Amino acid sequence: MLSEKHLPAFYALGALLLIILPWILTAADSSYLISTATRLVIFAIGAVSLDLLIGYTGLVSFGHAAFFGVGAYVVGILAFHNFEETTFLGFDGTLTGLIVLPLAILISALFALIIGALALRTKGVYFIMITLSFGQMLFFLFVSLEAYGGDDGMMMFEGRNILPAIDLNDRITFYYFCLAIFTAFFLFCHRLVRSKFGRVLAAIRQNEDRMTSIGIRPYSAKLLIFVIAGAGAGLAGALMANHTEFVSPGLTHWTKSGDLMIVVILGGIGTLIGPVMGAFVFLLLEEFLPIIFHELGMDLLKEHWRVVFGPILILIVLFAKTGLYGLIFKKEG
Amino acid sequence: MLDIQNLSKSFGALTATDNVSLTVKKGTIHALIGPNGAGKTTLISQISGYLTPDSGSITFDGQDLLALPAHKRPHAGLVRSFQITSVIPEFTVRDNVALVLQSLNNQVFRIFAKASADREERAKAEAILERTGLSDEADTRAQNLAHGQKRQLEIAMALAADPKLLLLDEPMAGMGVDESRSLTDLLNSLRDTTTMLLVEHDMDVVFSLADEISVLVYGKIIATDTPEAIRTNRDVQEAYLGTHELHNEEPA
Repeated sequence: MLSEKHLPAFYALGALLLIILPWILTAADSSYLISTATRLVIFAIGAVSLDLLIGYTGLVSFGHAAFFGVGAYVVGILAFHNFEETTFLGFDGTLTGLIVLPLAILISALFALIIGALALRTKGVYFIMITLSFGQMLFFLFVSLEAYGGDDGMMMFEGRNILPAIDLNDRITFYYFCLAIFTAFFLFCHRLVRSKFGRVLAAIRQNEDRMTSIGIRPYSAKLLIFVIAGAGAGLAGALMANHTEFVSPGLTHWTKSGDLMIVVILGGIGTLIGPVMGAFVFLLLEEFLPIIFHELGMDLLKEHWRVVFGPILILIVLFAKTGLYGLIFKKEG
Repeated sequence: MLDIQNLSKSFGALTATDNVSLTVKKGTIHALIGPNGAGKTTLISQISGYLTPDSGSITFDGQDLLALPAHKRPHAGLVRSFQITSVIPEFTVRDNVALVLQSLNNQVFRIFAKASADREERAKAEAILERTGLSDEADTRAQNLAHGQKRQLEIAMALAADPKLLLLDEPMAGMGVDESRSLTDLLNSLRDTTTMLLVEHDMDVVFSLADEISVLVYGKIIATDTPEAIRTNRDVQEAYLGTHELHNEEPA
């Protein structure tokens, strides 16, 4: 077991691994896995953003995939109108990344502001339920959007967003683009949780009732972090839409919120690197469990790999209170 | 400084605050005493904004306090401490105090300012810990403090907010004799700069500190007077002091 003193070395090693990953995969003749690696990096952005709420502020949000979906749909809808040469509320569609990506962040932040403003009036179990409900509301909203494929979602026929000098349609370039954005977001969160605002969030998590008497309105602080986390999820969603060149209501389904939550808990709440490891293990199991069972000739388990997946998650969470992070690192102090 | 008029608050059939009027004069220490369940904490909670009264008015420093949201009252100079210790358990003692300084300096939403890098705040926090006798525990997590030290931290957090009016809800509760004495000295040293409304069961403390005493029984103020007059007040003796041995004690 490592101590938290080894964290910088662990970060460096992880960063190195992520940087050389495409070479390794190409050399191993498994370059199809670059797509999985890209998903990992995108998924990690979503998980880290959710951990800002669950781990750092004590807000168990069960509707985080909603903002992921909003970000994805901003990309999808703009691509759709660009292809059809029609307008959305008077605006032309576009594939220009410098417009689409900031817009996706902004609009998911706006949704988080509205949903957060209402949901944060509740606490505890009620907060879990109300965020879940808002998530499902968005799910059904997207299902009802017949123009955008309804249930089936829609393809981005013209490919990914366009950026100057960066060809996102190249598999490896896109991986590095997502990795760069993930790194920037991770460093932002790292800074945030150690900031004065981060200290307020930690205080709210531990003793919310005390805040009023020292002149802090918990509601405002919680709303700000809810918006930041929503924007982060929206960014991840926008990248995911680009990655798969496809958006559908399934992105916002409550099971996706559950997946994000599992990743955060599996990795270790209240640690930023934990959810990243959680995303890694989650996708690894999801990718390879069916293959392993196939190789073993256990076709029934191959079909129902989640039957094995579930207990593995439960075991990890049971034996390591702070998830994978707790398995690897001994907490100081 | 603080003027309460005809304040009432009921919880169902229980009238916890019954038409209370009370004035705390600037520069004084005003004690509020009364038997358990008299409604002292309920009154403090209404002044600090944790509870909303059913009727009546509270004026603080010339402004209508009830129009001011609870979280803005500390910024206006009205700060409370809690009867049941309420600190941030995983924070160090220094960080508990620093958090209060951060709030009062309007730095709650500083997303990029590293919390541990503010030397001025750190120095201020340490000065307050010095005053409250917690210097040696600055790096101790609040949850690992002894009970008496937690009480001291509670006071340190209140002082960090630089209050004009300090509402102290049984600050000595659970303190040892020495701790209680040093806190009494501390409060005494603050009397020139800070007005206080003190709820306390320890009559030695009350009579050594208070300029004025109000007696609350079943939600009603039955007397407000100087300590000497309260000591000899018949109503007070009947309702409350009869159970204590006050008449044997000398006023400080």
